[in-house]
Amino acid sequence: MKNSTFWKLLAAMMVFSLLLAACGGKAPAAGEAEEFVTGSGFVCPEPQPRLEVTSQEFNLFVWTEYIPVEWKECFEKVYGIKVNHDEYSSNEEMYAKLSAGATTYDLILPTDYIVSLMVGQGMLQPWDHAKLPMLANINPGYMDLPFDPGNKYTIPYMAGTDAMVYNAERVATPPTSWADLWNPDYAGRLVLLDDPRVVIGFTLLTLGYDLNTKDPAQLEEAKAKLLELIPNVKLFDSDSPKTALIAGDVDLGNVWNGEAFTAQQEDPNFEYVFPSEGTILWQDNWAIPASAPHLDAVYAWVNYIEQGEMFWMMLRDFPYTVPNAAALEYAKANQTELYDAYVNSPITNTPADVLANGFFMEDVGEATPLYDQIWTEVKGEE
Amino acid sequence: MLRKLREDRSFQGAVLISPTLLFMIGLLIIPLLLTLVISFGSRAPDGTVIYGFSFDNYVRLSGVRTECDNGKSLCLDPIYIQILSRSLSLAFNTTVLAILMAYPLAYFIARAPARKRNTFLFLILVPMWTNFIIRVYAWMMLLRTQGVINSVIGWLAGLVGLHFTPFEMLYTQGAVLVGMVYEFLPFMILPIYTSLEKIELSLYEASADLGARPFRTFLRMTLPLSIPGVVAGTILVFVPVMGTFIVSDLLGGRQIVLVGNLIQNQFLIARDPTFGSAASLMLMTLTLIVTYFYTRKFGFGEEIVTA
Repeated sequence: MKNSTFWKLLAAMMVFSLLLAACGGKAPAAGEAEEFVTGSGFVCPEPQPRLEVTSQEFNLFVWTEYIPVEWKECFEKVYGIKVNHDEYSSNEEMYAKLSAGATTYDLILPTDYIVSLMVGQGMLQPWDHAKLPMLANINPGYMDLPFDPGNKYTIPYMAGTDAMVYNAERVATPPTSWADLWNPDYAGRLVLLDDPRVVIGFTLLTLGYDLNTKDPAQLEEAKAKLLELIPNVKLFDSDSPKTALIAGDVDLGNVWNGEAFTAQQEDPNFEYVFPSEGTILWQDNWAIPASAPHLDAVYAWVNYIEQGEMFWMMLRDFPYTVPNAAALEYAKANQTELYDAYVNSPITNTPADVLANGFFMEDVGEATPLYDQIWTEVKGEE
Repeated sequence: MLRKLREDRSFQGAVLISPTLLFMIGLLIIPLLLTLVISFGSRAPDGTVIYGFSFDNYVRLSGVRTECDNGKSLCLDPIYIQILSRSLSLAFNTTVLAILMAYPLAYFIARAPARKRNTFLFLILVPMWTNFIIRVYAWMMLLRTQGVINSVIGWLAGLVGLHFTPFEMLYTQGAVLVGMVYEFLPFMILPIYTSLEKIELSLYEASADLGARPFRTFLRMTLPLSIPGVVAGTILVFVPVMGTFIVSDLLGGRQIVLVGNLIQNQFLIARDPTFGSAASLMLMTLTLIVTYFYTRKFGFGEEIVTA
């Protein structure tokens, strides 16, 4: 008897879930076939201009947590192309996979310093600016930077800072400089980016050296200094350092600005600090691997998502600094709350003096093996 | 041709094993040889391999340095030996804990009524339907400073009016150990179960008839007869733990570096495939040596075949 009640219940649940599924997937009404709506209810804008695309699929290889889901959904629906999406959590990992012979990727997001290395290796192909009407949307301040003069190989995606974040409720003496991270009070309380260039870089800054030094003696000194920081480090994380901060596993650390912004939205106790030695600045850029098989889809994608009515979503999902002026204008008019939060926060809207006092990373050429070796050996210590 | 296939026994054998043989040559032997060749090369600044014949990577692994801080011409930097011994002790602890947890359970299942045994074995396999990485994330939720375990204890302590400082569990060696034991426990239970299940009930009766108490029966009869299962389980647990990197990455916060992490990082972060290859070969050699001496001492577990 009991048994049959169970089966009836199960059957009822299945019917119910089927009903739910049926209600969820709204069938497109006849006559308005052009209007595409994502699962979250966002109405996909029409591409301006709509490009001719014959490719059936498109392979993105991008940083983790960096692409709003609606973009993929809209692009797939509007252009009828399948978007495949692979992720990496460091430039080095992306570089290693591409140089090991991954040839299917169409579009990647290398950061400034790795661009010049990849260009030198012939791993990137130039953009055809004639096919990029979206370029008009980009703030010229983010164009024509030293790592890629004339934007031959890269188109700005997002920019930002690497600085420090702390939980004001739990950290009695907040850090004001990179050197403060060595404070013994912070033992076992730090999260650092799992990124050799950033962590060795700020260690060099505390010693008064150039962030991009190639001098082995200075790097050896930085290694010794960095070994002293290890007891303070609880966690290295480049995927989502905010998670451990919000969950209370760590109290402060070194993160990208967007992570700090999100953490602050979850918990206003999180404060972002620009260290006195200087902040590390970065810019991620769209680039096409030399072997990219679906070029038509690449141009269609970049032009589509860089439209203001698409790109504003970055303010909502991944609040780093937005080089896309059209997106900011769109947000100002249509997403006032997001826009105000973005413009009024120094985390996203980096202050001019921080930019002036900041440093970009550059490719360190023949010193790269030394950086990598220091990183391996520092992390291998207890 | 067809006729040969019909009549020649050894030709039949060759045809039957050829798919596996090709698979092993293409995906095991050739890559291993490549690894060996690469490990003698050196890396260019951009991360490509410069082929050559030098033992630099192995010297670096051994920790012998010719440039020293104190002006001496020879010194020892034990960093890689430390990473190795950390992995060895973790693999050892995982194996011991897994045996201690698996044995009683395997015994219980083996002595359960026959119709229930399959249900129990089935229950052990159920968690494996979920992807392992997702289960590790579940462990992260449990172990966080403000995670499930700490919250529940804190709540209980609050009920009786005690002050409770949350345990720091995630991102520690202990968390990595828990994750490893959790992941590999089924590989210990199944072979031990197979050994125990094969022991005839009449042997227990004979032992009792001859006056042995249950504890003596266990020590003198059950345990020795189940050793092949323990050996098989040990190999199935110890060897993979030595090479795993995902558990220590997620539960150890990427600051507990094991040999597996070292190797993975050489390929993905440090862009030094030559050093990574040398480290892989060292890991393989070491695992082989440990397994060799272990099986020489206890015999090669026949259960490794039946498990």
